[in-house]
Amino acid sequence: MSLILKGFLFFILLYILSDIFVMKSSFGISAEAVNSTLFGNEEAYIDPINESSFLEFWHTQIFFIMMILLTLSAVFIRVAKRSRAILTNALMITALVSLISLPLAFYISKFFIDIYVITYFIWHLVAIYMIFYSFWKLNARSI
Amino acid sequence: MQEAYKLSILYYLAFSLLLIVSAIMLFEHKIGFSFSGVLEYYTGNEEKFIPAQSVAGILKIVLPHIFVFGLFAMVLLHFLVFTNIKYKKNIIILVYTIFAIALLEIFTPFMIIGGFKFFAYVKLFSFFALLALVLYLSWLLFHSIAYD
Repeated sequence: MSLILKGFLFFILLYILSDIFVMKSSFGISAEAVNSTLFGNEEAYIDPINESSFLEFWHTQIFFIMMILLTLSAVFIRVAKRSRAILTNALMITALVSLISLPLAFYISKFFIDIYVITYFIWHLVAIYMIFYSFWKLNARSI
Repeated sequence: MQEAYKLSILYYLAFSLLLIVSAIMLFEHKIGFSFSGVLEYYTGNEEKFIPAQSVAGILKIVLPHIFVFGLFAMVLLHFLVFTNIKYKKNIIILVYTIFAIALLEIFTPFMIIGGFKFFAYVKLFSFFALLALVLYLSWLLFHSIAYD
């Protein structure tokens, strides 16, 4: 079972790292880049994203993130004893805030772009920590 | 069940709610919640410059949804195993209904472009029925986890 979980964790790690690179080249991972994607940038000749594309992107992101985080938290809870509730809460809340702030930035205020970027990085960092912690625990004992 | 697993399930329900909200917004924006809106989206409207959908075009949208609907329903329904409501007899009806409605929601566009306009109503009904069933199931799980 330990080997299977390690293989699975490796793929989740690959997904999360790849997600950062893909987002960097498409949607943006800095406040300025996300702002340009959502609202366009005349100086850089970037058109704003249309509503249909934005909603499709958001809808897809929600599904992938919920599946990734559910499976990751299931493995983490299985191997971790201390601080598992705190880290699971931190991971899920920041991911939820990140996803909710995206439409708020698009429809209501650019202020939410900063919240999106900050929470995006927090949940990625927490997820990466949880993956490495689970790896370490799985190596320490066969589960 | 361990408290930490309950936490995981509760967050999954929160994500599911967000997914439902995004699905409603997407459906409203791209298709609309009227019979004419659904019909125009699939069969086109020359006056409004809306192109008709082809079988290949619909298949492109349907393909990922077949997998996603199945996975999403399976994950949500399998949480019932961890609750006391798994012993209730009508749960089996709920399981069959969710998968049947999901199938209807996915495949009605083919009937609409096949000339069966009535299926525009079926599409709307199945969309809202599926969301309602997911919400009902989420409520059952939430209630069972939070109060049992």
